[in-house]
Amino acid sequence: MTSPRDTKKAEWLSKSEGLFVLRDPQAAAPDAELFLVIEPSGITAFCGHVDLGTGIRTALAQIVAEELDVPFDTVTMVLGSTDAVPDQGPTIASETIQISAIPLRQSAATARHYLLNKLAVERGLKPEELAVEDGIIRPTNGENWSVTYGDLVAGEKCLLALDPQARVKPVSEYRLVGQSVPRNDIAAKTSGQWAYVHDVRLPGMLHARLVRPPYAGWDFGDHYGTSLIEVKRQSIADIEGIVDVVIIGDFIGIVAEREEQAIKAADRLEVVWREPQVRPDLNTPEEALRNNPSEERKLGEKGDIERGLEGAAQTFEATYVWPYQMHGSIGPSCAVADYQDGKLTVWSGTQNPHWLRRDIAQLMKMPEHDIAVERLEAAGCYGRNGADDVSGDAALLARVVGRPVRVQLTREQEHQWEPKGAAQVIDVKGGLDAEGGLAAYQFDTCYPSNGAPLLANLLTGRVPAIPITFDMGDRTAIPPYSFPNMKVAVHDMPQLARAAWLRGVSAMPNTFAHECFIDELAAAAGVDPVEYRLRYLTDPRAVDLVREVAEKSGWVEHSLPGSMGSEGDIAYGRGFAYAVYVHGKFPGTAAAWAAWATEVAVNKKTGEIGIMRVVAGQDSGLMINPDGVRHQIHGNVVQSISRTLKESVEFSPTAVTSKDWGTYPILQFPELPTIETLLIPRPDEPPLGVGESASVPSAAAICNAVYDAIGIRFRELPLTPERVLAALNEREPEEETRPTEPKPAKRKSLIAGLSGLGLGALAAGGLALLSPIKPAIPTIARPDSGVFSAQTIEQGRLVAAAGACNVCHVGSDGTAFGGGRIFETPFGNIVASNISPDPENGIGNWSYPAFERAMRKGISRDGHHLYPAHPYTSFAGASDADLQALYAYMMSGQAVAKPVAKTELAFPFNQRWLMSAWNAMFAKSETFTPVAAKSAEWNRGAYLVETLGHCSACHSPRNALQAELDGAQHLAGGYADGWEAPALTTASMSPAGWDADALYAYLRYGHSPHHGPAGGPMAEVVESFTALPDSDIRAMATYLAEGRETAVEARAADALEASMAARDSALVTAPRGARIFEGACASCHGENSDLTSLALNSNLHSASPNNVLQAILNGHEAPAILAAKTGREGASLMAMPAFGKLYDDKQIGELTAYLRARFAPEKPAWENVGEVLQDLRR
Amino acid sequence: MAREFEIQVNGKASRVHAEPDTPLLYILRNDLQLNGPKYGCGLAQCGACAVLANGKPVRACMVPLEAVGKTEITTLEGLGSPQNPNPVQAAFVKHNAAQCGYCINGMIIAVTGLLNTNPNPSDDDIKQALRHHLCRCGTHMEILAAAREAADMMAGASPLSSPLGEKVAEGRMRGSPSGVENRDFHD
Repeated sequence: MTSPRDTKKAEWLSKSEGLFVLRDPQAAAPDAELFLVIEPSGITAFCGHVDLGTGIRTALAQIVAEELDVPFDTVTMVLGSTDAVPDQGPTIASETIQISAIPLRQSAATARHYLLNKLAVERGLKPEELAVEDGIIRPTNGENWSVTYGDLVAGEKCLLALDPQARVKPVSEYRLVGQSVPRNDIAAKTSGQWAYVHDVRLPGMLHARLVRPPYAGWDFGDHYGTSLIEVKRQSIADIEGIVDVVIIGDFIGIVAEREEQAIKAADRLEVVWREPQVRPDLNTPEEALRNNPSEERKLGEKGDIERGLEGAAQTFEATYVWPYQMHGSIGPSCAVADYQDGKLTVWSGTQNPHWLRRDIAQLMKMPEHDIAVERLEAAGCYGRNGADDVSGDAALLARVVGRPVRVQLTREQEHQWEPKGAAQVIDVKGGLDAEGGLAAYQFDTCYPSNGAPLLANLLTGRVPAIPITFDMGDRTAIPPYSFPNMKVAVHDMPQLARAAWLRGVSAMPNTFAHECFIDELAAAAGVDPVEYRLRYLTDPRAVDLVREVAEKSGWVEHSLPGSMGSEGDIAYGRGFAYAVYVHGKFPGTAAAWAAWATEVAVNKKTGEIGIMRVVAGQDSGLMINPDGVRHQIHGNVVQSISRTLKESVEFSPTAVTSKDWGTYPILQFPELPTIETLLIPRPDEPPLGVGESASVPSAAAICNAVYDAIGIRFRELPLTPERVLAALNEREPEEETRPTEPKPAKRKSLIAGLSGLGLGALAAGGLALLSPIKPAIPTIARPDSGVFSAQTIEQGRLVAAAGACNVCHVGSDGTAFGGGRIFETPFGNIVASNISPDPENGIGNWSYPAFERAMRKGISRDGHHLYPAHPYTSFAGASDADLQALYAYMMSGQAVAKPVAKTELAFPFNQRWLMSAWNAMFAKSETFTPVAAKSAEWNRGAYLVETLGHCSACHSPRNALQAELDGAQHLAGGYADGWEAPALTTASMSPAGWDADALYAYLRYGHSPHHGPAGGPMAEVVESFTALPDSDIRAMATYLAEGRETAVEARAADALEASMAARDSALVTAPRGARIFEGACASCHGENSDLTSLALNSNLHSASPNNVLQAILNGHEAPAILAAKTGREGASLMAMPAFGKLYDDKQIGELTAYLRARFAPEKPAWENVGEVLQDLRR
Repeated sequence: MAREFEIQVNGKASRVHAEPDTPLLYILRNDLQLNGPKYGCGLAQCGACAVLANGKPVRACMVPLEAVGKTEITTLEGLGSPQNPNPVQAAFVKHNAAQCGYCINGMIIAVTGLLNTNPNPSDDDIKQALRHHLCRCGTHMEILAAAREAADMMAGASPLSSPLGEKVAEGRMRGSPSGVENRDFHD
């Protein structure tokens, strides 16, 4: 069990010894602000901010240890938990080191002075005659004694008031601050010893999953919290372990004993919701932002902007558009709550424990003091993710069920519901004077809010879900350059989607505009962009930084694009940008200064952009931990490249449709540039926040470099290949059509329907010729199994295996031959019958003649006609001995006393007597005769394939009347149960082709290296074949391979090569599909995979996308499961996930287009993906 | 229907009672109380849940319990401890190769798996092995440096230059991720 609880303030303060530094020693425990405790056993320091993965736990401990002159590892930091630490507000805006660390340093200084004074008095010395080193206090007068802080506090208790005036150490004496102390959490994190909030386990803890409403990604609108119509609890009645389904307004939580039970139930629970509200298009957000009501707030004015623009020699206007982006935490949020005796404890990864406590108090209608938020680390969040939301959810559920509940959001929920980083639209006007100097600058930025109230408060209706305007759009809105005439305004507006602060909030988009525009002005002035910036920067630290970064990057002055030249399709370019991240309420506080020089490569054929090199410089003031600063720069560089090149949240009119890493891809290892960091040493300046600054110049630097490479200005992000290519092709970027909700298409079956002609043929050909009425064959008592020899029964078992009878006739609960499986046909659903020896429900009272007639002629014992879903046309050729053995086997089995549903087809297909006409037209009656010229093996194979195995039932095409075609069409490919059964003849689409070895491997093991695994119903057939001896499998392979391919290896190699060569063209054909493939599929189907390449998979080369779509929609069983039955070794343990619920038709269409273009490049694009998809989704 | 399974995890046989289609991830985390493998996507996309199966990395979120059979499963905990890390873990500590650390399980498993089959990987091999392991904090540079060092160390090029937890000596990275001149990585 892992149930970490930080010791409460009250417990600390009730200790009998130790020194306690508080803001106000008189304050009672819950409100007391305790910063530092020195005990004989060690030093504990408290900070209201939390570690979001940036390493502030280490940096704060360094600050405390420095001030006390104790070893670093003697200081323990307590961060965040509401009952232990002071309320210092949310951990945002890079404030921890800059602001929240101040009282810590002062507390340490207060304690140090107090204890040294006390010791000095005791020893008759002056305080300055004492020196502290590594926690040991010694006199400087040569006396030979020493004590520790622990010794000084032993046996006594002292509450000390924090003295803001206490003298702190001069920087010149620092020995720990400014050093790259290794982080104190990583050893535990690299070995699974670190407890994240996800790892909290309490005795008796339950697991919960949530079912969210369909308006995914919004926090306001019509029917918010009142959209739930019905929850069909019966839909999960068969799942074990369900403790409760909690419903409050639009909040639904499923609580179960085990996590996988909750997962299954959340997936299966049927819920009826109101149709969600249709929203403005946020994929290309400019229009929606412009139409959103706003209020102008002037941020800065200088000179006269109108006259400045009027008087300018040249004027310029540009609009910059920033998309909605995600925090994209790697771990979906999780929380644990426990409600006992009116007290609530919530274990949370929140960024703002005290705020969260207030929100939960409101949600639960509880006093704040009855709630403790225990803060544990979670996945990094760079702003505000779902950590708060899930904490509220856990609190609600824990109170209902009265046991501890752990709630884990799914990846999809985190992606859809996390408060996004808001889109922005920025209009800039500028003017140059006759000499190319800056004359005027007008900057208008629109920012749609970031309130994001606790989701549970909205879903349950506790808090009204209404638009609220915030004022965070002003970060770094004031340009760093000296314009004689300037006007800067932010247009505050309510949210358009659920949004909250994301790293570099509003400063990164604002800087994108400032720094791209200054580049445009420099180009217009004919001046090198770095030189131009330096002319107008007034801040000396900015000037130093820009100079140093340019120099380190080897900046080459230029005033025209093309400074790095090109090679073939690849054009290179360099770009620069600078910014200081301003945070807090306007006019705000500056965090670290940052500048980028970057070099990019643009592939003019595909539109891809590669970032080759980034020189990122930063002036961070005093650096507490230079390695920590460097790592933050690296992190910001990588993340902001990702945001600039790749990231944009996608929306349907009603929901966020970016639900995974395929639909919201982020930067991967092979895309990394060289990153060189430049840290300006400023030990005498105050320390500045470094968590966000290096992100801020990124997008502008990259766009400026792309301009240098190809001479095109991009003013909207992200720089996807299709956007770049469209611009290169000198046309407007293709207007991205909004994903529309799938329209109900006309149902059209995969198998051609029964045509009017077919009906006519039936009437003409059938009725006239034959009497439809067949006699019943009398029932018998079920034969005693003793009448059959063991040998006969065993032979029958093999016949049943070759016929894979149980694949179709398996009981719905898995019992052999119990029947009930439903088969879709163009005429309606056919239910497989119970063929167990139960006299009532099965065939236990059938005589052998009745059995044989059913097998060979398709007539049931009672005389009614069977539909040709039962492949009697194949079984007609079986030998008497095999049918007799099969009868013996069937009669000796376990009776299943369970009826199956009746097959009920619509008129006229429910007229079974019509089948007599069908039989007259299509049924054969001759038994199999060996071909004398062929080998015994070939003949055995032919017999198995054509009679018992009835391969043609699935693998031959059928006519309008569902009769198998023969001749050249025999085994030339058909359909079964929603799957395409590929051709077993030379009509096969397999690029490698099939030889006898490949066929043998496939039939024996369910897998062939040059083809991949058996899927769908074929996997079940292979499983059935495991009973057959090798000789039978070989025989089938020999028969089927006749006249087939050789050189399978060489052909496979060609297909692989063609697929590799098609990489670029496939990317251009389907860029969005390419991204989905890379993010969602390539971890298993990529170039480094052990799995057979999709380039060799027949399904990708087929005329129909059917099987590819089947796999995407429904996933694939872990190959190891079948392999364990067939004896194959080395099969993958991993299943393929089902994407049917995750992806909409548009996304699957894009993915499928890419798959086809990439893995079957010689084949035309599939035209009917949408149609087949609709059919399969039914 | 839930039933009894015996699986081999970190060198020990463990009996668990669960539905056959239960993803191994939840068995490891909830039944065996192992915190190394993390839930990240449940779709085999991000790699946070990776474990070794007979020495090769797999994503535990997509491994159904019934597929495990006699496969030897090794989790992060099975590789080593803070006191006794395996070379990859030690290199990650040395390079401070984690920010939030949520993805680090997968990174260490992937690098260990790579070195099991390719003891002398190129920088490109390392990047490809980590290609489908996502890190959102942007710890990529430190992770690559750690992977490189672990590879070099296991190839016998040099031992770890400092014991665990000690101040890391400043120095240039030997070798560098391909296509990337990381000459200033440590400056």
